Amino acid sequence: MATPPAATATNSAPTPPKPPYKAPPFSQPPSTAGAGKTETPAASTSTAAAAVVAAVAATGAAAEEPSYIITVPSYSAWFSYDSVSDTERRLMPEFFQGEAAAASGSRGPEAYKYYRDTLVKRFRVRPERRLTLTEARRGLIGDIGSVRRVFDFLEEWGLINYGVSLPGVKQGRDKREEPVAPQSSLPAGVSAPKKLCIGCRTVCGQAYFTCEKADITICCRCYVRANYRPGLTPADFKKVETSEDAKSDWTDKETLHLLEAVMQYGEDWKKISEHVGSRSEKDCIARLLRLPFGEQFMGPKEDKMQFETDDDITDESRAEISKRVRLTPLADASNPIMAQVAFLSAIVGSDVATAAAQAAISAQSQVDETNDSPADSSIGSPKEEESCYTNGFSANDLLKEASANARVQLEKERKDIEQSLSDIVDVQMKEIQAKICRFEQKELLMEKERQQLHYLQKLLFADQLAVVQHQCRPHAVTAENEADENPKPVLTS
Amino acid sequence: MKTVSLSAPTRSSTVKFRMPTRDNLVPIRVDVEVDGQRYRDAFTWNPRDPDSEIISFAKRTAKDLKLPASFVPQMLQSIQGQLAEFRSYEGQEMQIKEKIMPLKIDLRVNNTLVRDQFLWDIGNLDSDPEEFARTLCDDLNITDPEVGPAIAVSIREQLYEIASQSVSAMREAKVSKKRRAPEFASNSKAMNNAVDMFKYFGSKGSVIRKRKEWYLYAPVVDVVPNEEVVVVDTTEGA
Repeated sequence: MATPPAATATNSAPTPPKPPYKAPPFSQPPSTAGAGKTETPAASTSTAAAAVVAAVAATGAAAEEPSYIITVPSYSAWFSYDSVSDTERRLMPEFFQGEAAAASGSRGPEAYKYYRDTLVKRFRVRPERRLTLTEARRGLIGDIGSVRRVFDFLEEWGLINYGVSLPGVKQGRDKREEPVAPQSSLPAGVSAPKKLCIGCRTVCGQAYFTCEKADITICCRCYVRANYRPGLTPADFKKVETSEDAKSDWTDKETLHLLEAVMQYGEDWKKISEHVGSRSEKDCIARLLRLPFGEQFMGPKEDKMQFETDDDITDESRAEISKRVRLTPLADASNPIMAQVAFLSAIVGSDVATAAAQAAISAQSQVDETNDSPADSSIGSPKEEESCYTNGFSANDLLKEASANARVQLEKERKDIEQSLSDIVDVQMKEIQAKICRFEQKELLMEKERQQLHYLQKLLFADQLAVVQHQCRPHAVTAENEADENPKPVLTS
Repeated sequence: MKTVSLSAPTRSSTVKFRMPTRDNLVPIRVDVEVDGQRYRDAFTWNPRDPDSEIISFAKRTAKDLKLPASFVPQMLQSIQGQLAEFRSYEGQEMQIKEKIMPLKIDLRVNNTLVRDQFLWDIGNLDSDPEEFARTLCDDLNITDPEVGPAIAVSIREQLYEIASQSVSAMREAKVSKKRRAPEFASNSKAMNNAVDMFKYFGSKGSVIRKRKEWYLYAPVVDVVPNEEVVVVDTTEGA
């Protein structure tokens, strides 16, 4: 790899040293340096040349349409070139907090933005290719440590090297910083706040030192090396232990082992930790204390233990842990119903279980059941197992009642339906009857009219007959009648 | 460029050793050769980073550059040695006079040559070589992003040299108190370069540089075509 030969300061003559090669010694004024730019993307296989090509392509790509798509994971949607988001401020405090960051430059927000923007741009020019730290930091002006931290942060959040296949696990990677980023941004807030040491900016492990005077947190190493502000003495610092559970949760198996061991060995912590396996004695004790009934076992020894528990093991997780623990003593009861009930109670939760128990009690007092002795014994008892017992029994009665009620109601519904059906039918019948009446009336009328017409017809016929008769009589008779009758000749022969 | 401070020339203060820049960063140069493969690099390191960082950095670099693992111990040794040397100076005192020293840049990074000379106030503990390097690259339109860090490292190396000489001068002065040491400090080799500001800012001088000296202080950037790069590599690399 090419390295610049540095000029030493012991040069007495203030003239530039002669170039050791036969390069054209003309000096290029800065204006034509731009022309030089276009010559550089000549074919060269070194990564540095690729970086130059990338730089040129970046300036060119800005003008044309992007021909590829850059994917950014959804949890990094806050990223934008224009500003620094709160997530970044929170997760990279060294750039934004503290007196070092207040002065801008290699430490401040501008530096962070410069590193971040350069890295992201550099990656996005060739998004299918993995951007290595070495390549990236060679193009960044700044100290390696800060560049590496920003690089790791961006890579973790998928703004760099996202979707590019990883060539195996990085050995030297600072794994401590890895779980911090996505976890600490989850709203559940389950993880404890990782303490960041001011001196070396790494996550403090088991114990750290705080100073009230200056509100500084440093890790053990920095404390030992006195890597803090000159104005502070070692006496100003207090040791704070971080809880182990935050880093490694106890699985059910381990908890089970622990309880078995406790029952077997009593308070011999050595044997207990052996039985549990991968937990130290301190861990076992701490864990047992955290279990809700652990205190019963520990009793007065609690005072001797000086663990500072982090409040951030929230009630939620604690309840979860205690739920799991409650399962274990009951799970090996021979009675399968008890196991079922315990399971149900664990799922449902203590509040719901007590409420259901009380409802069941009141329901049972109304309904006469034969198996109420265990239910009675649990009245007033806040213990969970028994309340779950009654919960289990009364559930059956409730179900029966409920089904009976349902049936009755079904019948009612059916009757109602029938009733309404018959009503509808009646109404329709009435309608039809009314119609029939009307039609009958109309018929009568029609009959009357017909008869009238008949009568008229008959009259007409009679008239006609009379006329014909008069015509057929002798003319002498008709002559007299014709003068009386119609003068018109009506009939034809 | 940083502005030149114009306070009285006799003022000088002794400070704990540190880089006379705003950020106390150490320039590190690594040159390791294993089985015919050579790794040369220069970067800036924060001495307050824990030692575990050095190891992880060395491993990561070897991995990124696809170097065999045998490089790592030598790299480690080199880096740790330089850091140890830096730390060995740390407890001691150095004398910061407001001397304005000329610094030189003469380096070649891939295809780009940079030659420059400028005055730097080593008494200004707020100076920032990184910012200078960034500005230089931006102003001269240097496209290769690797030039910037090289310039910054070069400046830091020169400043480190000056600071360490100042420390050793102070030590000598303390040891040889009989001989009225403070004058010696100003006569040491390194300080000969310091520009005597009286000449410029006294009654007869002017702040504006003389035209005939312009060429000395103008930065020069050459872009070298690839064939010459190969030539230079072979002449340098041996």
